Amino acid sequence: MSNSDNLFKYPEAIRDDFIRTEDIVFRDGSRVTAGEVWQYLTEVGPVKYPNIYDTSNYYGGKISGDVKLPFSLKHNYLLLTMDDRMTKAKANGVPVVFVQGGQSVDPYYAAGGIALRPASTGIWARQKEEGLDLNQEQVRSADVKEKAYRAISFEACNTAGYEHIQEGSLPVDMIAPFSCLRCSDVSYGLEAHRHGKRKDVKLFLVDYPMDHQKDKEWAVRYFAENIRRLIQEINELTGKETSAEDLRKEIKLHNEGRKLAVEIADLWWSAEVPPTNGKDRRDLFQLGGMEVHGDPEATLSLLKEAKIYIEERVKNGIGGYGVQGNPARIFVCGSCVFPNEYRTEEAGGIIVGNDNHWSDITTMVEEEGDPFYNLSKAILSYPYEQAIKERAKWTVEQIKKSRADGVLFLYCWGCNTQSAVARALVDEIKLQTGLPTLIIEHEGRGSEQLQNRVNAFVEMLG
Amino acid sequence: MALKIIDTIKKRLEERPNELIKARKEGQKVVGWQGYNIPEEIIYALGLIPIRLGVGGDDRLVEIGARYISTKNCVFCRETVGLFAENKDPYIQNTDFLAFDATCLQTYRTAEILQYYFKKEIVILGVPRNFYWPEAKTYFTKEVEYFTQRLEEHAGVKLDSNKLAETIELYNLTRKAIIKIYDYQATKERLISWEETYDILQAGYFLDRKEYLGLLEEVLEELEEKQGRPVIEVDEDEARIFISGSVIPPGDKKLIDIIKEVGGRVVGDDLWSGLIPYLNVEIEDYTPAGIALAYINRTPHGALPYLDLETDRRIIRMKELIKSFKAQGVIYHTLRYCDPYTFKAKETKDVLQQDGIPLLEIHTEYAVSDFEAIRTRVEAFVEMIKNKQ
Amino acid sequence: MSKIEAFAGVDVGSLGTKVVILVAGEIAGFSIIPTGINTEENGLNGLSGALENAGLDREDLKFIVATGYGRISAPYANKTVTEITCHARGAHYLHPQTRSIIDMGGQDCKAIRLDENGNVTDFAMNDKCAAGTGRFLEVMANVFKVSLSELGPLSLTATTILPVSSTCTVFAESETVSLLARGEKPENIIVGIHHAIANRVGGMFSRVGIESDVFFSGGVAKNIGMRRALEENLKIKIAEPEKDPQLVGAIGAAVIAQNSWKRGN
Repeated sequence: MSNSDNLFKYPEAIRDDFIRTEDIVFRDGSRVTAGEVWQYLTEVGPVKYPNIYDTSNYYGGKISGDVKLPFSLKHNYLLLTMDDRMTKAKANGVPVVFVQGGQSVDPYYAAGGIALRPASTGIWARQKEEGLDLNQEQVRSADVKEKAYRAISFEACNTAGYEHIQEGSLPVDMIAPFSCLRCSDVSYGLEAHRHGKRKDVKLFLVDYPMDHQKDKEWAVRYFAENIRRLIQEINELTGKETSAEDLRKEIKLHNEGRKLAVEIADLWWSAEVPPTNGKDRRDLFQLGGMEVHGDPEATLSLLKEAKIYIEERVKNGIGGYGVQGNPARIFVCGSCVFPNEYRTEEAGGIIVGNDNHWSDITTMVEEEGDPFYNLSKAILSYPYEQAIKERAKWTVEQIKKSRADGVLFLYCWGCNTQSAVARALVDEIKLQTGLPTLIIEHEGRGSEQLQNRVNAFVEMLG
Repeated sequence: MALKIIDTIKKRLEERPNELIKARKEGQKVVGWQGYNIPEEIIYALGLIPIRLGVGGDDRLVEIGARYISTKNCVFCRETVGLFAENKDPYIQNTDFLAFDATCLQTYRTAEILQYYFKKEIVILGVPRNFYWPEAKTYFTKEVEYFTQRLEEHAGVKLDSNKLAETIELYNLTRKAIIKIYDYQATKERLISWEETYDILQAGYFLDRKEYLGLLEEVLEELEEKQGRPVIEVDEDEARIFISGSVIPPGDKKLIDIIKEVGGRVVGDDLWSGLIPYLNVEIEDYTPAGIALAYINRTPHGALPYLDLETDRRIIRMKELIKSFKAQGVIYHTLRYCDPYTFKAKETKDVLQQDGIPLLEIHTEYAVSDFEAIRTRVEAFVEMIKNKQ
Repeated sequence: MSKIEAFAGVDVGSLGTKVVILVAGEIAGFSIIPTGINTEENGLNGLSGALENAGLDREDLKFIVATGYGRISAPYANKTVTEITCHARGAHYLHPQTRSIIDMGGQDCKAIRLDENGNVTDFAMNDKCAAGTGRFLEVMANVFKVSLSELGPLSLTATTILPVSSTCTVFAESETVSLLARGEKPENIIVGIHHAIANRVGGMFSRVGIESDVFFSGGVAKNIGMRRALEENLKIKIAEPEKDPQLVGAIGAAVIAQNSWKRGN
């Protein structure tokens, strides 16, 4: 499983080109040069976090070998420095707020906080222990997660960071996810914190109303009030007040990121040869959520640069690293899980899109007028949160744009709200597109059983 | 010695499906509903016939339901879908449209599946998670008013304020009667057991409410005649058990039967399908808005996350009931994938431990494969309670 | 009528039937036989074996308590008591300082808290789809083509721990097969399995709390690798077994038989 004797090394041959690329510009105005990024990735990272550099194909998060994509190196740098950057932000009085994935983070940043989703929180927590190889890191992660199971239940999927924040000592200041259908566990994970040791963590639920929510004026106003209160709670931590204009500015920034991600996706999907491999594609598209790095400005700088490179690759028909000729194109729907892209590509497939984060990324927010109302209206319009037929309609649009050959619906063991509509959604997709579909349960770690099913699907599409 | 009236109630339940068929032929409409915050009074006052749907204990229907929803949803939801898929249940067959609320997100998903696969007409009532906020109460009030409008469209009439007032009075009296019967079931005399009380309570969701109140009054008459005022005391060599946790719908008898078999005695519950909805309902304003407020201000459902342990009214209420029914232990019954209650098992155990009340979690489904396993656990719990005395 | 006052505890478990005979508060004889299909017959065979071992006759037995899952088919017993209560009594008999018991039997896994008199004060048992039983380890031993008794010593030779799913026997078996196919060493996988089980047991104790002395009973208690993993996970020292840990339930049942008889007379 682990290949700890043969860690990934960025080749010296690409160094000169890389260090000439753009700086990463951070929210606080500071910058880091590509040279500094290179030095970290080649000298510091492998010592501190050898597990990240493991080259085993069984490790779905392994570093993509596509070393000529500067955004990929910078993205990894930002992930590897999560602990350093969050520690610095905390020292500067910036509160960190746990949110759920697939939700926009405009109001959290407008309020002066940093919003971290579960995966990013996990990355930060894991970086507190250095020098672990992949096996050691995975055993440690499983042990840590076990603490949450004990406090909550072994059926819990999203524990709202309980194991890191309550059982560990990750200095998250507030837990404030949306309560939408994307994940029902997170609301109860949040609730579980009330019984935890740490009473200094603020708990807040951003209450997402159900059922034709975007069409009901009273629902939009209610959610707008939730956003207002959320910002007020974060303001109590920062000691500053957020104005409507602050929120408008933040919305504009995030819209810029969302728009860039959509443009990049359109380019990627239009290419005959996939211009990146699946892992890089997923990382790239997800940047549009502006939340992966805990610094929207840094993410935006990566998006701007990435678009240029993708344009170039698409124009010249350059394929992504490791992508085989004419792979079976698969669109993945469902909850927050996905197959191991590397192993899927080995088998002759490629993941061309995911729905859950994409839903909030493709939802632009009106920039003029009452920002609370506008944000509320947009968030309540997430395609992923609509009734089955409406959600399917949007999903089919993405499937067609991505020119997928088949659709996988994956949900996590223990996920109630996404698994509930798996069959209905794929039945509707099948009806509208005629494409083959498959529903697979993902049990949290990439098992042979899971990959078997994915590979069989790939073979069927081929 | 069983009360005479219990047989009458059983007989009326057997006759009820045919009554519904007749009523529908005469132009009345039947509304099948599910949820904790559905304002039944409004349905009844519009001349519609409310029937609360959802049964348990049938693993075959769970299996069928899981083909449409998923194996990762709670068995109660799966069985509900199974009922509609099979379409043999007379109550399912005799509903004109459905009303579901979004108290529990899995109930909401069930509604979506019933709409998609079985083309059911469903009126959905949104429920706020932050129910204790003034803004949430405003939202819920608007939801109930909108809910009422859609029911009026189905009923073909506008809600009459006099009929509504009458209905609220009827339901208030029903609530009082149920609460009184609950006191009787916990007494030494045992003229009525908790199981019988629970069955009587469930019967109210099927029978006509006016008739039902009459039957409840007969139960109370019989009890008062034989016993006088109920006084709750602990008897010797009893293991007095309070049930908390997930829904126990009609048809799900596994745990209840096991408790009885191993010498335990259930003396109370705080189930959302049991006593809880009948407590603290104070409708001050006889309008849909007034009903909305009263409902959202009741003891909350565990599916609505509440972020402060000390002020959680559901827990406060649970502790009060345990005390008033003089329970010696709690069996915390959770269904597989019922996250709202399963995720709070450890917390509830810790909270009750502070008051010296032991808690046993029974995490189960509708399959009978774990019958012996549950029996062993419950039996050991009963032994533990009895040995303590 | 026999003047000897002997008392029997019959523990019919899923894998083994254990019987203990007490005379004047001391263990006079015992037997351990594999459980077959007919549980009533098993209990009776076990009784015969233990009586023979004790040099006693059936008429010497004044009271019999049956426990274990097979207690529901024990018409020969005067009383049936759950194995939870029996394990507490048995552990207390063998080691009166016991305040916590880890019991890993064939079908289930228990965390038991008891007071200074051997009374159960709290307990927790494994949920469905949670590894931690004798049957689970039997399945694993089969995958590695070793006997159950070799698992423990083999795990002590591990050079690293490999992560193994702890939620389900079937998942864990599948994972094990995959890990072997990838060339991972059996001992490293076994120690991962022990680690996963210890996590699950740790979870049960987080519900009931743990206090020394800790007693480890059930067939799995003979697995030295499992003992180590538990000690590491729970951060406690497990008391050394003085008798075969598989007998604890039967000993407890015999003690209860003795006490029940005394109360009655």
